[in-house]
Amino acid sequence: MGNWQRTLQVARREHRIIRNRPLYFMGSVGVIVFCAIFFLTFLKGGLPHDIPIGLVDEDYSTTSRNFCQQLDATQLGKVVNYDSFAAAREDMISGKISAVCVIPKGMNEDIQAFRQPKITFYVNGLYFVSGALAWKDLLQMVYLTNGAVQREVFRAKGYNDDQIMGLIRPVEIDTHQIGNVTTNYNYYLTCILLSGILEMIVILVLIYSLGAELKFSTSRHLLETSGGSIVTALAGKLLVWTIIFSLIGFALIMLLYHWLHFPINGTVFNMYLDMFLMIMASEAVAIFIFEMLPIPRLALSVGALYSVLGLSLSGFTLPIEAMPPYIQGLSVAFPLRHYYLFYVQEVLFGAGFAGWWKEVVWMLCFLFVPLFGLKRLKNAYIHQNFPKD
Amino acid sequence: MEKNGYIRTWVRDWLEIFSHEIREIFHDGGVMLIFFVAGLAYPLLYNLVYLNGILSETPVAIVDEAACSDSRRFIREIDATREVEVAYRCINMAEAEKLMQERKVNGIVYFPRDFGEKLARKETATLSLYADMSSFLYYKNAMMATNFVMLHEIGQIQMERYSLAGMTEQEVSQTVTPVGYEDNNPYNRAFNYSFFLISAILMIIIQQTMFYGMSLLVGTRREKSRNYSSLPENYAGYGTMRIVLGRGAAYWLLYLGIGIYIAFIVPAIFGIPQRGQFLDILALLVFFVTDCVFFSMTCCMLITRRESVFLLFLAISPICLFLTGCSWPTVAFPKFWKIVSFIFPSTFGVQGYMNLNTAGGDISAAGFQMTIMVVQTIIYFILACAGVFFEHWVIRNIDRLRETRDDIAQLAGIDREEDARIIKGN
Repeated sequence: MGNWQRTLQVARREHRIIRNRPLYFMGSVGVIVFCAIFFLTFLKGGLPHDIPIGLVDEDYSTTSRNFCQQLDATQLGKVVNYDSFAAAREDMISGKISAVCVIPKGMNEDIQAFRQPKITFYVNGLYFVSGALAWKDLLQMVYLTNGAVQREVFRAKGYNDDQIMGLIRPVEIDTHQIGNVTTNYNYYLTCILLSGILEMIVILVLIYSLGAELKFSTSRHLLETSGGSIVTALAGKLLVWTIIFSLIGFALIMLLYHWLHFPINGTVFNMYLDMFLMIMASEAVAIFIFEMLPIPRLALSVGALYSVLGLSLSGFTLPIEAMPPYIQGLSVAFPLRHYYLFYVQEVLFGAGFAGWWKEVVWMLCFLFVPLFGLKRLKNAYIHQNFPKD
Repeated sequence: MEKNGYIRTWVRDWLEIFSHEIREIFHDGGVMLIFFVAGLAYPLLYNLVYLNGILSETPVAIVDEAACSDSRRFIREIDATREVEVAYRCINMAEAEKLMQERKVNGIVYFPRDFGEKLARKETATLSLYADMSSFLYYKNAMMATNFVMLHEIGQIQMERYSLAGMTEQEVSQTVTPVGYEDNNPYNRAFNYSFFLISAILMIIIQQTMFYGMSLLVGTRREKSRNYSSLPENYAGYGTMRIVLGRGAAYWLLYLGIGIYIAFIVPAIFGIPQRGQFLDILALLVFFVTDCVFFSMTCCMLITRRESVFLLFLAISPICLFLTGCSWPTVAFPKFWKIVSFIFPSTFGVQGYMNLNTAGGDISAAGFQMTIMVVQTIIYFILACAGVFFEHWVIRNIDRLRETRDDIAQLAGIDREEDARIIKGN
């Protein structure tokens, strides 16, 4: 029997095992479907709006009421009125509102008399996104109020509106968000989170699949089927799993960029390549972990630790540069990191091959890693001399 | 006498189940690994990753086509901010774009040719910011730096222009800022990433490691005996309460220790703010751990094999993190997921811990969260009891259930014996 036929036989055996353990289906397709539904519906809004902002109005004047209405009318903010600062502060600490804005007593009079009253606001920066957005909204409102007062002053002095604009707004910034024009958190987070979860699935499921041979003492049968060759055995197993994972990965890319029309500057085809490479690299990592630790539960625990850490160390939320140097170097050892860098080049900049070829090389490097432990794995499969649970 | 006897038996059973469970935990390497290595090392690891928590000096490229004194001052001021560093000065946009694509810079600030002229003509001059959106923190830094500088510059330029418009010095200062402001970010001054994320991760680690560890143990017992796991051999169909409470007490005691380490010692090691009262946070921790115990017991009903918990439920961890509302605000949750967030103890544990520990509120600041945790505890306790009961029913009727399963397999045309033979490898 040729090597090809043996590989196919192992693949057929693997297919049969998968069919008989619903855990494999649930652990791969089930998990990714649930996560895709979760993240895509959870972040559907793109950017949060109507952030509750507590307003303590001690002035009760037309100006303060106007300020309050304007703040309420912004897309970001929603005003919640309080009678005392103490009550508002309590609600801010308990996370019910994201910020408190205090309008001082006599603000209206002070503005009229140019006594420069001060609006004070407090932001709860522990609830990150809502705190930052509330802060931005409040700052903007204060500047608009200033502008309105200045405009009145200059109108009274007889300037026309064009001149006034030059006076009160001498410099302006127009911001261009490359690759994500609407600051959409769904575009930003979902692409990498879902790929990260797929990486997690690949590593865990493959480790489990390799470990199950030891756990149920079937590893000798596996080697028999493959004619005693560990390479053929792995090739057969990987054939089935690569097809399954690739189908999941391609479905994910198709879902994001074809169906949901996530913005992409490059071509979707390259993202398929990126996804495929990440899956291959993750498979290599899974095999390597199991070769080094052929004890199913330990390997799974290590795989779990590794893949959860991968989400943080891909650097798509807190960039790698902000981490301590000894952690920065570690990030190279995660396929998701390279997937992310590839994604940045292709999806955000549309740079094409020139932009991402290095990441491809990195991900291909992962494929050599399992070669080091093949012998160890084969011995473990033959002797079954590791603790089983 | 009769009643006394009952209570005594109850306590004796409880104690036996409790010590049996403790023994099991300490005899199982996998569980020890999760509880003590993961439970103790994970918090340290995450703290290391997010140690600095602040992204400073994001490199930007400058394209200064205006080349006037105003634009140069602007550039110097941008360079002086904490957020941004001027890494390159480019001749044209093409060069800057290339730098951005090579990820040498994460933003481009462009001064158009007419920038200085417009300022001189007392018109509105526009500069452009191009931000790399690969991480929103780059964008936030670039935007904050340029906006701070812009606001500062506006103040300066307004002063000049208003003086030229014939105002006295006092009038000018009064008109430039008719309304002042004072912004405070008392709990997280620099929007430090680690303050909010670490608080959340710490509590989630408590919940998740407990759940994974308990599942491993339950899975092992189910694999070994196909028997209800959690029952000592002398269980005879009664005393569900003492089983649930006895097992629960074992985890509760362990996790109170691990919880104190995670909630008090880890933040102290890494200088995460600890503003709350010790007793308040301890009370919250007791509520949270109790809640987690019964939550994990309930979820363990789904576990049939030792390792399956990782395959099925590892992805729940990031989802739990989002459901706490620490990053994505709860007001923006879709209704359905808001309801789902009430399933997990971590949602309220994290919120309570943030309010008490990091924001420094008193116990009333976590009142709502603690109420919900009590409700959850009651519900999960009842569910855990129901689970024990159900499992016992399954054990008694196992033969009948197996027959049904074979019938179904036959209907679907699957040869179970053949498959079993192949899996076993004979």
